Amino acid sequence: MSNEPLVLGIETSCDETAVGIVRGRTLLANVISSSVEEHARFGGVVPEIASRAHLEAMEAILHQALNEAKISLTDIDAVAVTAGPGLVGALLVGVASASGLALGLGKPIYGVNHLAAHVSVDLLAHTQEVKPTIALLVSGGHSSLLQVDDITSSVTKLGESMDDAAGEAFDKIARVMGLGFPGGPAIDRDARSGNKTAIDFPRGLTQSSDWETRPFDFSFSGLKTAVARYLEATPNYARADVSASFQEAIVDVLMQKAIRACASTGIDSLVIAGGVAANSRLRTLAQERCDKAKISLRIPEPALCTDNGAMVACLGSLMVSAGRAPSPVGIEAQSSMSVTTVSVA
Amino acid sequence: MSISLAIDTATSRTGVAIINGQEIIWQGSHDGATAHGGALSTLVSQALSDHPKIDQVIVGMGPGPFTGLRVGISFARSFALARQISIIGICSLDAIAPLVIQGNTLIKDGEDFIVATDARRKEMYWAKYSKGIRVGEPGVNLPSEIVSLGLPIFGEGAIKYGLSKNTDTQYPDLLSLVALSRNPRAHVSEPMYLRRPDAQPTSERTS
Ligand SMILES: [Zn+2]
Repeated sequence: MSNEPLVLGIETSCDETAVGIVRGRTLLANVISSSVEEHARFGGVVPEIASRAHLEAMEAILHQALNEAKISLTDIDAVAVTAGPGLVGALLVGVASASGLALGLGKPIYGVNHLAAHVSVDLLAHTQEVKPTIALLVSGGHSSLLQVDDITSSVTKLGESMDDAAGEAFDKIARVMGLGFPGGPAIDRDARSGNKTAIDFPRGLTQSSDWETRPFDFSFSGLKTAVARYLEATPNYARADVSASFQEAIVDVLMQKAIRACASTGIDSLVIAGGVAANSRLRTLAQERCDKAKISLRIPEPALCTDNGAMVACLGSLMVSAGRAPSPVGIEAQSSMSVTTVSVA
Repeated sequence: MSISLAIDTATSRTGVAIINGQEIIWQGSHDGATAHGGALSTLVSQALSDHPKIDQVIVGMGPGPFTGLRVGISFARSFALARQISIIGICSLDAIAPLVIQGNTLIKDGEDFIVATDARRKEMYWAKYSKGIRVGEPGVNLPSEIVSLGLPIFGEGAIKYGLSKNTDTQYPDLLSLVALSRNPRAHVSEPMYLRRPDAQPTSERTS
């Protein structure tokens, strides 16, 4: 028998009901039920629909994860759950479910940060932990550059989006072009047949004065407006070219800032995580630029980039191994939990 | 005698009790429309420290404000799963009705009455009871619409809208919740929302 902690993780911060099980840094199960199709006709996530779907799906997802991992609930050493940030009503379903499991089993609960969990999941693929590392976290809700000295205790925010998150920009532009929701995968697909240099869209916060004052912050609202204007002024626009050029503007800025963060901190390791890390152009460009700058790059496989339970279980497992104290009984969901708070103390 | 963990979060009260047969051996509650989650875990944890052995879980399935209601059901389902014990859901209004009949002083002999809880947005969740048995499915309506039925009204909603002064009949009675679980016809398997979700999408995504 392994001495490594067996941890079950629950994720319900947005529209995915997910349960993952890990032993140490070995992934045993990763089961996801998404309500995305129910939200698609509204063009965004409807919180109440998401929350209802979480409650409806949870029990079956738990059973499925346990079957996949070939373990029984009583084998588990700890329960981990996303405590925030996210939609409060959605988070509450997961936190209540995790609390019920933990109290029923008499096992500790770790209420962890969704963003830190996104970063930590890389350790399931690349088990050698690199400390410290820079992390670029890009998703529908967040675009942050972080310095991670220890993922279980010390995460510092270098910068973040001043307005839209990167994934949000993808969603909005996809909607304008009638590509549907969620927009990221649709634009990624569409862009493959387009010319990424066809249109020179603006790169937010990359003027020389910006590098002085806001070197690691992002802004995508100007880009969004520029694309909208272009579409209005060009009735017969080539959609694939717009997709490719828009996507290039986003990933170019993300990588410029991530490489700069590595250079200025002297840290030669970069992890890219979050839903947008599944974007194929970002993955390609990141590899090119990191190779050139001699930075070791790690990006989890696409299935682990989008919201999942494995990342929550993984961070929980790292917390147990590092001897971090569990969260108190009676933890509450924290919809705007700061990224520097790795777990609820 | 089986030992039940009874939970209800369908009103502003988070109620927890441990009931051995027909006797309450532990009970606790937290009043407040928010923070059902933290209060529920804390109460259950306290209850378990005195009474660790539980044979079944009985949970109020609403109707009630969605977020708090889900906290109770979600917790109860997982707890039952962890312990590998059965779980039974009961309409929360049904567990208020026995409080109205008890002592037989609040209503005239055999008189019909209504139990109503707060549904927010100026509406109430309600159901009609005849000889203590619910007539039809619960509904959600404006207080004026419920008043027009001309029956005495009890429960948290009735207090809020000045339709009742009786504070002993505000919240579900957990002993009644467990008693109702012995009747299969009272069982409810899904949360009683009674309203469609508001279809207002958020731009606040986290995936
Ligand atoms: Zn996420």
